[in-house]
Amino acid sequence: MAFERTHNDDVQGDELLLERVCGGDQLAMAGIFDRYSGMVYSVALRVLNDQGQAEDVMQEIFFQIWKKPDAFVQGRGSLGGWLMVMARNRAIDQIRRRKPTDSPDDVVLVSKTNLASETERNVLMEKVREVVKQLPLEQQRSLELAYFEGLSHSEIAEKTGDALGTVKTRIRLGLMGLRKALAT
Amino acid sequence: MTGNEHISQEDLALHALQALPEAEASAVRAHVAECAACRGELGRLAADAALLGLSVEQKALPAGSRDRFLGRVAADAEAAQNTIREEARGKVLAFPKRGWIPWTIAAALAALAVMLGVGNYRLNRELGKEYHMVADLMDQSSKAERALAVLTSQSAQHVLLTASKTPPEPTGRAVYLAESGGLIFQGSHLKPVETGKAYELWVIPVSGKPIAAGVFWPDATGNASVVMPPLPKGVEAKAFGVTIEKAEGSDTPTAPIILAGATATGE
Repeated sequence: MAFERTHNDDVQGDELLLERVCGGDQLAMAGIFDRYSGMVYSVALRVLNDQGQAEDVMQEIFFQIWKKPDAFVQGRGSLGGWLMVMARNRAIDQIRRRKPTDSPDDVVLVSKTNLASETERNVLMEKVREVVKQLPLEQQRSLELAYFEGLSHSEIAEKTGDALGTVKTRIRLGLMGLRKALAT
Repeated sequence: MTGNEHISQEDLALHALQALPEAEASAVRAHVAECAACRGELGRLAADAALLGLSVEQKALPAGSRDRFLGRVAADAEAAQNTIREEARGKVLAFPKRGWIPWTIAAALAALAVMLGVGNYRLNRELGKEYHMVADLMDQSSKAERALAVLTSQSAQHVLLTASKTPPEPTGRAVYLAESGGLIFQGSHLKPVETGKAYELWVIPVSGKPIAAGVFWPDATGNASVVMPPLPKGVEAKAFGVTIEKAEGSDTPTAPIILAGATATGE
């Protein structure tokens, strides 16, 4: 079965696509894949630094949607955000060689961010990069170690030589700074 | 951070990044399950953390990645279709969507199917009994019609059989219609046979070996009958005979001949 590549700006809501996937619509699944696969793969690759492993993570996440589309329901946040979290968490699980630490049901995002439109997504990406660059270097470093390397706060403290409380504060301030900057 | 106190924003942020040790993470999970305020803040921090993924430089997918995924999806869909087809052949009524409502309906339908199946089984069993009863009646009716035809046919041969030696107490009378293979025999004054033995009636054709026409035992008064034994049609008989054979019957008559009688053809 061949699927034409979907045009991301010809936006059909994620909710509608998921509803169609619930009915076994392969074309709708191709639409979700085309919309978010690059983003998911890039995050997994950034964490794993291995193309094969990153593709495995990406394939499993999208196949999970195909098999259990109703695991993602309205109220759990945006599908794009949920996929980002799943990509990061699965990739971290892989480098730490541990079993998946959360089920899809555990991931609930409170966000109005719309990642369905490619144009809006690209704008947001630029904005996030800019905001992260503006964060104090210590906050950037702490967030990077926690988010992309999957280190715990005590591991970060050990690695950076900072106090545990300082690491906690930097991570909180980093996330709050991101939120505040994107809200304006 | 346990008990009724809210979780600190620092710990919620670390939890959103999975950066808390398992013991602390477990306590956070337990608290947010009960605390809407902390659950809401955790959701917002998780959404903030998710945005960090957007800071990553976007990379192109490996070649063939899309085809591999969609091929896997198509194969899975095909397998699911095959399962549905198999289930539709009589196994289980399945629903493509999950959730308790379809499964409840499925369970109810399955129960209904079982009830209908049991009812259907009973009806079939009763129908089977009726069918066999009707078949028996039709068989008996057919046999009676054939017997009547033998008795009333003007071309039927009537032969009186007597004992080959005096005193001629045992007798037998055979009525035979060659074209239909119909034969009715009535014996009288027959002596009882020893255990394991029986009288056997024989049709002696004009040509060929004697044809067994059934075994029989006389009643207390010495009377016996053989009605419409299975015989080939169109066999012209020259005589009939009765011998004593083993109870299950013999292939050839054994001497002595107890009763014998020739047809007009055989005289």
